[in-house]
Amino acid sequence: MTATMPNTDAPTPAPVPGTTPVLECRGVTVRFGGVVAVDSVSIVVPPASIIGLVGPNGAGKSTLFSVLSGLHRPNAGKVLFQGTDITTMSAGRRARRGLARTFQHPEVFAGLTVREHVQLAHRISRHRSRIWTDMITGRGFRPADRNEVARIDVLLGALNLADIADRPVAGLPLGMTRLVEIARALATNPKVLLFDEPSSGLDEEETEQVMRIFRLAVEHSGLSLLLVEHDVAMVLSLCDYVNVLDFGVKIGEGTPDEIRNDSAVRAAYFGDEIVAETHPAEGVAP
Amino acid sequence: MLDYILAGIALGSIYAIAASGIVITYASSGVLNFAFGSLAYFLARFYYFLDTERGWDQIPAVIVAVFVAGPVLGAVLYLALFRHLRLATPLIRIVASIGVSVALPPAALMIFGNDTITSAPGLASAPVRAYKFFGATMDLNQVIALASVLTVLIVGTLVLQFTDVGLKVRAMVDTEALTSLSGVSPGKISICVWMVTTSLAGLAGVLVAPANGLTPGGMTQLLAAAFAAVVAARLRSLPAAVAVAMAMGVVTDVVQKYLPENSSLTHAVLVSIPIFVMGAFLLVYIRVSGKIDEESSTGGALDRAIQPVGGGDSSSASAAAAVVRSRTGWSWYLVGPVAIVGIVAFLPGTLNGYWLTLLAGGLAYSVILLSFTMTVGEGGMIWLCQASFAGCGAVVTAQFSTNHGIDPLLSVLLGALIAAPIGLVIGLLTIRLGNLYVALVTLTVGLLAEQLIFTRDIFFQDGLGVAADRPAFLSDDRSFAFLALAVFVVLSIIVVNLRRSTTGLALAAVRYSEPGARSVGLSVLGMKLLVSALGAFIAALGGGLLALNYGWARPTDFNTFGGLVWLAVLVTIGLRSITAALLAGLTFTLVPGIFTTYLSPSWGNIPTLLFGLGAIGVAVNPDGAVAQNARALQSLFAKVIGRLKRDTGAPTLPVPPKNSDAADGELVRVLEASR
Repeated sequence: MTATMPNTDAPTPAPVPGTTPVLECRGVTVRFGGVVAVDSVSIVVPPASIIGLVGPNGAGKSTLFSVLSGLHRPNAGKVLFQGTDITTMSAGRRARRGLARTFQHPEVFAGLTVREHVQLAHRISRHRSRIWTDMITGRGFRPADRNEVARIDVLLGALNLADIADRPVAGLPLGMTRLVEIARALATNPKVLLFDEPSSGLDEEETEQVMRIFRLAVEHSGLSLLLVEHDVAMVLSLCDYVNVLDFGVKIGEGTPDEIRNDSAVRAAYFGDEIVAETHPAEGVAP
Repeated sequence: MLDYILAGIALGSIYAIAASGIVITYASSGVLNFAFGSLAYFLARFYYFLDTERGWDQIPAVIVAVFVAGPVLGAVLYLALFRHLRLATPLIRIVASIGVSVALPPAALMIFGNDTITSAPGLASAPVRAYKFFGATMDLNQVIALASVLTVLIVGTLVLQFTDVGLKVRAMVDTEALTSLSGVSPGKISICVWMVTTSLAGLAGVLVAPANGLTPGGMTQLLAAAFAAVVAARLRSLPAAVAVAMAMGVVTDVVQKYLPENSSLTHAVLVSIPIFVMGAFLLVYIRVSGKIDEESSTGGALDRAIQPVGGGDSSSASAAAAVVRSRTGWSWYLVGPVAIVGIVAFLPGTLNGYWLTLLAGGLAYSVILLSFTMTVGEGGMIWLCQASFAGCGAVVTAQFSTNHGIDPLLSVLLGALIAAPIGLVIGLLTIRLGNLYVALVTLTVGLLAEQLIFTRDIFFQDGLGVAADRPAFLSDDRSFAFLALAVFVVLSIIVVNLRRSTTGLALAAVRYSEPGARSVGLSVLGMKLLVSALGAFIAALGGGLLALNYGWARPTDFNTFGGLVWLAVLVTIGLRSITAALLAGLTFTLVPGIFTTYLSPSWGNIPTLLFGLGAIGVAVNPDGAVAQNARALQSLFAKVIGRLKRDTGAPTLPVPPKNSDAADGELVRVLEASR
């Protein structure tokens, strides 16, 4: 597997023929009553890549995320994971196949410690049967496996969570809670990580650290990343390829450089009047 | 026919008053008032006291009992209790209102005396006048009921729609957080709401007493019917609640025309109408929207932000700052529970006669309470029908051992094995429901079992129940107490192991955040079903033991509201602790024993009152007494141990993995290499 360096001038990873995308959605449409939140959007996430999904508030980013991760069933369209149709698959089964996600409002297990979050995710991805066998084997009275503890310590250390590993997450500030979610997601050993609003709640230093870890993971272990973000500058600096949503419609896609110069995208962000005439021609998603 | 319809409308009016009281309380304060029936009983008993026992006229009696005592009681309850529950978890809210519901009837008995009341007067003076409408008769009590509901509706609508107070109440129903930010004090509004709804409870109680009887049981029926209408109204829609309540009243009276009089079938059909109404509406709602959850419809973003996290669990908030290192492997924190079990193990050898019997019974109760620890504590599912599972265990034990000659202990096990799949089915049925709906549905399932199954002659035997003899080697109470303790210890080890293992982590994950649990690949369904089955199994095992302890399987020992008292006692002492289950079981039999032996028999109601008050106290201390004290001891221990460790100077550093295989932990290797 060839690693793709982020932010290089290499050809865009999205339409590489011959490689099966790790995650793909085709013509996904979601309606809430009469409102079309997502209108036949298609997105491709190739292996070992960082793909961005940007758009102003209310563009349908989080809804599309819910569809991809399986918490919401689309009205039309398909979701493919490594070429297999997973549109009707439950969120839990998707996660077991290697599709991890974080949430815009962190969904952590308030009473569990930081370590336990990672421990649980780690065990589910590697020794899933332990959820049931532990009841019989009496593992609850034995100390945790040394190897497992060591691996978890590495992950916690990388995210600077080691000091608070034994604290319940209930009292942690938002930034740390977000890091816990990331640690939990990475511990499932995912093939693709859906990352909702990475910048909110993290300070600059934390963001930088998380991005460093993500780049490492993408380069060396073949993880792919799909970022949802309204901070365009951040997405453009990090991603290999960017999709832009507005009012549920994909209004543009391309490398960060192409997006910077895309008039439809500029219109969505800076106001229609500037480029109103060109919008219909360029705004149609392929 | 018209006779039946008119009578039905009158009955429906009473249901409607009760249902609107519960809906208003829920919508404005988030408390689903399980004490509504007891409030109705208490105030109706006060009315009876004034009207019949003190010979007051109806009008002054009803004014004092319903419109003076009602608001006072409501205000007191709000200020003393429900005020503190605004940010409590659903479980704590439910348990606190159950506490009120448990404490009020014995309080009424102590204040007003415990004479048996055979017939209760209505609001009309006897002889009750009757009126003719199109050839059908309607007596004055029925007319008053109908007039009352119309008054409540009209006045309520006018106040809510056209007054300043009404506007504030409506704003608070939509989003309490924003309402308080705009300068309205939610406290003042809430106290008004509680005063009004408690009066409604009194009114409903006085009106329903002539028909249902002035007993806590009669009011329970009122509560069940009102809850059905409340569920149909999705907890918040007042017009829907009133409409369904009226319809239910009419149906209840009209079917009587087609059913044989005074037969057990008729009785069974009548009591189960609310339950079927509730079930039907839930099915429809689930089919339409896929999921029904009380939280999705309440409040704005700000309200959600300040809501407590973690479903039925309460320990998260108060334990937030604590360091937890002890949840896997052996730890010193296991010493406390082991020591307490050890002390209890000495008791059968030291106690005799009456006390030994109580001890053995208490241990059987401990086993039943362990099922709450499992379902409510570990699973975070507020199941209120554990008493029925225990009853199932008891009656099955009696049937198999007495009527089919199977070994009694084997029968207990069979009872538990029969209950487990029933638990599984209920788990499946309630999987898509929010916390409060789960509580309501399991409560009605319990009532249904109690009314339809346990009253069958084969189990009931005119209230005597069926004999359940112990095997010969357990015939004395001492050996039986040891057996019960042994069963408790084995089950405790299973529960503790489960809690501390991967299973427990997974359960906690599901309890705290279902989306989060799904995102790591957990099956929420699987975890919940496991808890359901295990909880039912344990409860039935305890029920079987209890039957063997008494020598009889009496269905009346396992009535659903009695089960709520068990839950109240357990939550008071500690919901998530094994020790608490043991102590709560013993408390449940020994404390009443102490009261009746050493104090005057007239104080017999006090233990129940105390149990109720204890559950109310949970509002202040959500973790229960044992958890609270255990945490204090633990932190003391941790300090001592920490000092010892520092002395030996052996810091424990993480050891890097020696051989991480290729497929396993690839990411971790990458991270490690990068350091």
